[in-house]
Amino acid sequence: MSSVASAPLPAPRAGERAGALARLAASPMLRFLARRILVAIPVLWGVTFLTFVVINHLPGNAAQQLLGINATKVEVHQLSAKLGLDKPLLTRYGDWLHGLVTGSLGHSLASGQSVTSILGSDLPITFELLAFAFIISLGLAVPIALLAARRPYGVFDRLSMVLSMAGLSIANYILALVLVYFFAVNLNWLPALGWVPPGKSLGGNIKTLTLPAVSIAVSLLCFYTRLLRADLVQQLRSQDYVTTARAKGVGPWRIILHHVLRNSVFGLITAVALNLGTLLGVTVIIEQIFGLPGIGHELLSAINSRDIPVVEGAVFVFGLLVVLANLLADLLYATLDPRVKYGSAD
Amino acid sequence: MAAPTELSVPGGLEPAIIVPPPAAAGRLGRLRALGGIWLPAFLVAAILFLCFLWPLIGPVSQPTGGTILNANLPSFSSGHLLGTDSTGNDEWSRLLYGGRASLEVAMAVTALGLVIGGLLGAFAGYVGGWRDSVIMRILDVLIAFPSLVLAVAIAERLGPGEVHAIWALSFFSVPAFARIARAATLRVREQNFIVAARLSGSGYLRTLLRHVAPNIFPELITFGLLGIGITVVLEGALSFLGLGIPAPAPSWGNMIAQGEGILSAQPKFVMLPSAALFITTVSFNLLGESLRARWSDR
Repeated sequence: MSSVASAPLPAPRAGERAGALARLAASPMLRFLARRILVAIPVLWGVTFLTFVVINHLPGNAAQQLLGINATKVEVHQLSAKLGLDKPLLTRYGDWLHGLVTGSLGHSLASGQSVTSILGSDLPITFELLAFAFIISLGLAVPIALLAARRPYGVFDRLSMVLSMAGLSIANYILALVLVYFFAVNLNWLPALGWVPPGKSLGGNIKTLTLPAVSIAVSLLCFYTRLLRADLVQQLRSQDYVTTARAKGVGPWRIILHHVLRNSVFGLITAVALNLGTLLGVTVIIEQIFGLPGIGHELLSAINSRDIPVVEGAVFVFGLLVVLANLLADLLYATLDPRVKYGSAD
Repeated sequence: MAAPTELSVPGGLEPAIIVPPPAAAGRLGRLRALGGIWLPAFLVAAILFLCFLWPLIGPVSQPTGGTILNANLPSFSSGHLLGTDSTGNDEWSRLLYGGRASLEVAMAVTALGLVIGGLLGAFAGYVGGWRDSVIMRILDVLIAFPSLVLAVAIAERLGPGEVHAIWALSFFSVPAFARIARAATLRVREQNFIVAARLSGSGYLRTLLRHVAPNIFPELITFGLLGIGITVVLEGALSFLGLGIPAPAPSWGNMIAQGEGILSAQPKFVMLPSAALFITTVSFNLLGESLRARWSDR
């Protein structure tokens, strides 16, 4: 929505650059991409600056948190100077921005590790969790939606609508605790806590990720089912090509699978890409409950220790991923559906 | 042509898509359509009555300050319908008072979002141009701003509490309502009655408040019902992480968090507030969805 600035990029004059380059630069897709990226920059800047200011105004700085409550004023002061925390806020933010432009996210105030390497070890865990959740939710949503749309307002459709309404209403942290109670405490099938790296034991890895992934997947599953089912039913009702196919004598399942699904799947793909961005917030609480050392967990502990470079790095990566996911959604949408053209929004 | 840049955002605070049921066929269909609104409406009314009025008029003990002598009574013991917790507080009363706190936060956050976000979005959509761009970019920053950083900041800077939870959560309801209001205003803006109002000399502000606002209000209020359901969940998450309503006073979120430690021994302290939270969310969601379906049928 409204994510396009009113001023389009000036198109390069055809005479200046010859041949392919000019044609490339004039292509609507590239101009669309460039415009979207230009619009994203101030948003990302605003988010990182606001975060910097907010964390900076919290009581106690990283030096205080590192030294603990018994440290003397002099000690805190010395460590602050050593960490560069005594410099004015704008100078430090400027330094951080300068580092960002030159490709460095700085070093953790608490451990001295580079932020890139911290994020590099946390992100794969979060990504694996999310990928697992997506596989579960999409793998179930598509067949359920197809079955439901086959007979709209039939028994299966009504049942799936009621269940998906319930699933959309259940909070993920509640679901997580209920799952832990039944599958970890009572049945003792799956671990309630912890993380096994896939390199160590793939089976153990999947076991530790199952409950957290299901906790995230249920609401996604319900959302995708409703989305896809609504689109399928709408197309089956109103589209001429469905009537044509029926008149030709194509069977109902073949119509749904080969004709309608191909058109309905665009909306689903867009929703998945957009969800990628919003889901990063959900992982914080789930990682906390299940003790997974992912990016959400890292962000929470970095805020508590006032480790500004790590917080900024995580926030920046979150923001970047949201922007990229939205961009991906638009690109996929337009690539898959030839009717959509990259144009101005007005 | 729907340009790819005008996609709406599913997930997050956007409501799920619903297909309106087929035009009610015969008496049975009409009956069912009525049930679709009245059942959740009854549930919502019952929840509001239990959480807000019943503690004032009924035999409900205080949710805090119980004596250790009454600790860990089982359910259905005399005077304690659902038993007591480890500090001797009546669980039933904690559920009701906890619900009151959660619903107060949810309704305040939704009301703030509705009024402030609604006006901002309607204004942005109505005037368009650079003012629209600036307002929406600022709201984009708020949406992209990590909720956790803000919640921790408010809890640590101002101290956890009900009013501060309302502050923290309003940062997300305002942009959400603004987007809905803006989209609705864009649809209304070009209609003839707006042009007629402008031609008859109605100024910007008057047109916005008297002609645009009443027409986007139904959409906002139905989204508001969905919003209450979502905010109850978010408030629970804040309190669960210890950033919302602080411990001795009950809220569904901090009750769940307290119960987590004794989940294996006494699951009821997680299950009861969880069930209350779930039923509340379902009721508000169903009411919002059915109103929305009815509204889009028109």
